[in-house]
Amino acid sequence: MKFSYSWLCDHLETDKNANEIGEALTNLGLELESLTDYSEYSKFVVATIKDFRKHPNADRLNICKVDDGTNTYQVICGANNVKKGLKGIFAKDGMYIPGTQINLKKGKIRGEISEGMLLSERELNLSDDHEGIIELLDDFENGTSAVEALKLNDPIFEIGITPNRGDCLGVRGVARDLSAKGVGKLKPLNFKKINQLEFASPIIWNINNDDNSCEYVVSRYFKNVNNSKSPEWLQKKLISLGLRPINALVDITNYITIDLGRPLHVFDADKIGKKLDMRLANAKERILALDNKEYTLDKNTTVIADGNNALAIAGIIGGDLSGCTDDTKNVFLEVALFNPNSVAQTGRSLGINSDARYRFERGLDKNMVIEGLEYASYLINKICGGLVSKNIEAGKLENFEHKINYNFDYFNKTIGLELDPQKQIKILKDLKFQINKSNEKECEVLVPSWRNDVKNKIDIVEEIIRIYGYENIKQSVPSATIDEIDKIDNSSSNKKFKSIKKLKKTLISNGISEVITFSFHSIRAQEILKGDKSLKISNAISDDQSYMRNSMIFNHLESAELNFKKGFKNIQLFEIGPIYNSSQSQENILSLLISTEENTNSIYKSEEFNFYSLTELTSILISSLNFDIKQFNILRSTSNTYHPGQSAELFMGKKLIARYGKVHPLIMEEFPKLKNCYAIELFFENLPIDSISRANNINILDSQFQFSEKDFSFLFEKEQNLYEVQRYVKGLDKNLIKNVEFFDLYVAKDLGDDSKSVTFRVTIQSKEKTLEEKDLEQLHKNILEKVSNKFKAKIRS
Amino acid sequence: MDIKKVLNEVTKEIEQSSSQQELQNVKVAYLGKKGKITELLKSLKDLSLEEKKSSGSKLNLLRIEVDNLIKNKFNDLKIEEINSKLKNEYLDISFPPPNSIASKAHPISKTFDEVITIFGSMGYSVAEGPDIETDFFNFSALNIPENHPAREMQDTFYIDDKDKEGKSYVLRTHTSPVQIRTLLNQKPPVKIIAPGRTYRCDSDSTHSPMFHQVEGLFINENANMGDLKGTLIEFCKQFFNVQNLKVRFRPSYFPFTEPSAEMDIAYEIVNNKIQLGQGDRWLEILGCGMVNPIVLENCNVDTNTYQGFAFGVGLDRITMLKYGLTDIRSFFSGNLNWIASNGFTIGEF
Repeated sequence: MKFSYSWLCDHLETDKNANEIGEALTNLGLELESLTDYSEYSKFVVATIKDFRKHPNADRLNICKVDDGTNTYQVICGANNVKKGLKGIFAKDGMYIPGTQINLKKGKIRGEISEGMLLSERELNLSDDHEGIIELLDDFENGTSAVEALKLNDPIFEIGITPNRGDCLGVRGVARDLSAKGVGKLKPLNFKKINQLEFASPIIWNINNDDNSCEYVVSRYFKNVNNSKSPEWLQKKLISLGLRPINALVDITNYITIDLGRPLHVFDADKIGKKLDMRLANAKERILALDNKEYTLDKNTTVIADGNNALAIAGIIGGDLSGCTDDTKNVFLEVALFNPNSVAQTGRSLGINSDARYRFERGLDKNMVIEGLEYASYLINKICGGLVSKNIEAGKLENFEHKINYNFDYFNKTIGLELDPQKQIKILKDLKFQINKSNEKECEVLVPSWRNDVKNKIDIVEEIIRIYGYENIKQSVPSATIDEIDKIDNSSSNKKFKSIKKLKKTLISNGISEVITFSFHSIRAQEILKGDKSLKISNAISDDQSYMRNSMIFNHLESAELNFKKGFKNIQLFEIGPIYNSSQSQENILSLLISTEENTNSIYKSEEFNFYSLTELTSILISSLNFDIKQFNILRSTSNTYHPGQSAELFMGKKLIARYGKVHPLIMEEFPKLKNCYAIELFFENLPIDSISRANNINILDSQFQFSEKDFSFLFEKEQNLYEVQRYVKGLDKNLIKNVEFFDLYVAKDLGDDSKSVTFRVTIQSKEKTLEEKDLEQLHKNILEKVSNKFKAKIRS
Repeated sequence: MDIKKVLNEVTKEIEQSSSQQELQNVKVAYLGKKGKITELLKSLKDLSLEEKKSSGSKLNLLRIEVDNLIKNKFNDLKIEEINSKLKNEYLDISFPPPNSIASKAHPISKTFDEVITIFGSMGYSVAEGPDIETDFFNFSALNIPENHPAREMQDTFYIDDKDKEGKSYVLRTHTSPVQIRTLLNQKPPVKIIAPGRTYRCDSDSTHSPMFHQVEGLFINENANMGDLKGTLIEFCKQFFNVQNLKVRFRPSYFPFTEPSAEMDIAYEIVNNKIQLGQGDRWLEILGCGMVNPIVLENCNVDTNTYQGFAFGVGLDRITMLKYGLTDIRSFFSGNLNWIASNGFTIGEF
């Protein structure tokens, strides 16, 4: 909402300057978004070029003699519109030029002294025009301030109006709120009612089949008007807000929309039928609107129509064919009350944002219907002349009446501030709320007609504190109670964030950086990774962001590719965040991607990253969550994201805990630049939260007795799950077998296609004594027998 | 017997030994079973008691001294040998390592952590809700009815799929639905924060289609607007680490709070950089207010007994302000250079 200082003063008698008013607006909840105030431009003055000559050392420059009314200055000027007698705007040595953001300094230009500057519009931030210097057309005296000469003496306010404050979508409403804040006095609305209503309107109204979208409509017919340019005062008002004057009739309706916040419409009475209907549109009915676009309507749209055609979309926009032009002789003025909901719905479905819609959908002041009619009639009659008809109306204008029972204590309890009932009442009265009955505890409040947003007693509290001032609220900090600390300690979400932090620290200390990527998937990713259909975004910004992701791997490959293009060869990144299985199911997981290049450095050679390096990393991550990778069931992964032979899934019961492996070559075809990509997905939310968030997990009893190591080699079936073997061996003697470490795997033709040779080392240690040779031998024998029986394994050594 | 002569002789031989083996030979020749000094000691038995006494102690001193000389020489030789061996093991210490980049945590992670810690110290526990929400939780329960202009304050992403009421799922436009989920699930008092991802269909250098918010909710018998003000000022002081913080609360409008407010903090430009806390310019930090009784009633909370406040803070925004970051899009680009410059090492995190 934009308005000028002088326009505000039409309604408000005030001695406050623009800055003070701007601050008051913000404190009222009418946030000042910008204040364009040129008062500091009064230092720039009108000056005349007395004479000029070519600069001896520069073709395009002129040396001008400039008179500012007090002195004559030599000014070097490069503008192409320099001429003798030109009146422009002059800046002296030392002045700050807002458009170029520099302080002017007296000095020589190509050997000739320059003592000031003649300014362009751009140098004054008035426009982008820097074709030439400003050329004043009116004859101002030299020395007149630029503010006066350029008519910049009217600051423009732009304020943000929250959706509840439809009453402030007119300058008068803003003035009313300011007056309640004590910024000034609201002036009475200045117009005369037309006393002589000469005749009955030849055009009549009929509201039918409108789905209750129009409560009331009232009109007047103006005979023999003379429509032409509107008077200067009106044009200037509109221009000051950047609006283009059109003709008097249209300008008047635009003016009243901004001045009173009351949209109304004028039809050229000779272009419409004699019987107007307020009705729902027919299916596919069309209308060419004032914005020069043709709209196809549906059965939910209310239109104003005559016998043949839709003339206007109710509360939103007029039709082009029935609009007023310079030739208009007879006018039909329409002032209506439309249902905010139906205006909002229609406006949204047609995509029309008009000043009328904006106001109607926020709800209008019912008492402003007749006032708007009278005000518009007065202006039309005054500016365009002619005769005015009696009112013609349809529907019924109900009185706005809303009462709220309010007890003064409610303010104190809500705000935490004792405010005397008399002070509360004073504020409400300043806001033009009526106090009907009151005692020291409570009162009955009658809400003014323009405040349809004030519905409940809490809204009364807001009104009082808004005027009393948020800055007067006393602050206090409620500290944590024991119960609250208890809740935090027991909150599973708190525990989860703690575990996540632990996980992040482990990852970072392993050289992996954290990224955060969008929760979206491209169409391509969705196709390849086969996400659930319910994840499609209806109004996506682009194809790249048209689904919710069911995995992060694609996003991370994209990140890796981006980093590859920046020169990174070895990329390690992770993200902890949500993936979406369907519209009703999401989970937080850790997803990690490692992309490595072949190592070409002959000095700094490191082992090439492979599936086993990835497994080790997975194991480290799981350890940081207080679990041991080997306690899970391991299976080959069937996910189409991974290489089928180099990927694994870990399960706890039926719950998937982790999936990791080499990214499937088919996916890698989408990222031809990247070579060796491995990923881990850790579904940590499937692990019991109490276990993973525990601080100390490790409980290893340190024995002081000697330990012994023994290696075992077996021939297993090729698909034998070695995690099972390990768990089995460890379980053979929980007291003595301290560790089982696998260290060799041999698969070759000479063993046959179905076998693999595996070697592991068993560490044996007692907590009670140094074991004797015979105890050890017994245990070794036991391991050999039991393992070979259990797994049908051949002993190799 | 000339002890001095023997000492000179043996000292010379020790000094001339150039390897541990040679030295060992010297040791045997003098201190071995048939060594010269051993023999001299043996010959003492033929002497008189007095001679035994004087010569014996001299000989013993000689033995100890020779033994020490040999030990020291052994040590010297060992160090010499290791040193000459190490000479062959010298590497080019100046061969530059491959380029590497510091691994760091994302600034948003740091902010999440600080927010949870600061509010935790004030008694707020963490709550969560889904990103894909129903119309009920994201809008209608929060007093944002259909066709209400407030819906247009937020550009909503919709999902094709429809909920039980036949309404399209939405990507939550704010973290406020967690207020409803929490209040429907647990009886007051309630004191929670809910950090998480939020979405609006908007994209430029200050708007991202995905961003982060933290919601706060405190409901009990008497939590009032002064408590709200104090809590948020305290949070900002701690988060921005500015003790002397100039703030402004001004009236605003959110359908789910009444009265509503926005909080601004003062700033000034010093050396082309934003400095928070003082000055006469204002930055909007967050929206807040007393929970609208309509919302509490929607959650079956008795408004005669309970009241309280709620707030919502844009986490990306406060992160950008705190660390002087300018383009929100770089937050989600996965650019490791950006993370290395703007992220946090394990010690800082």
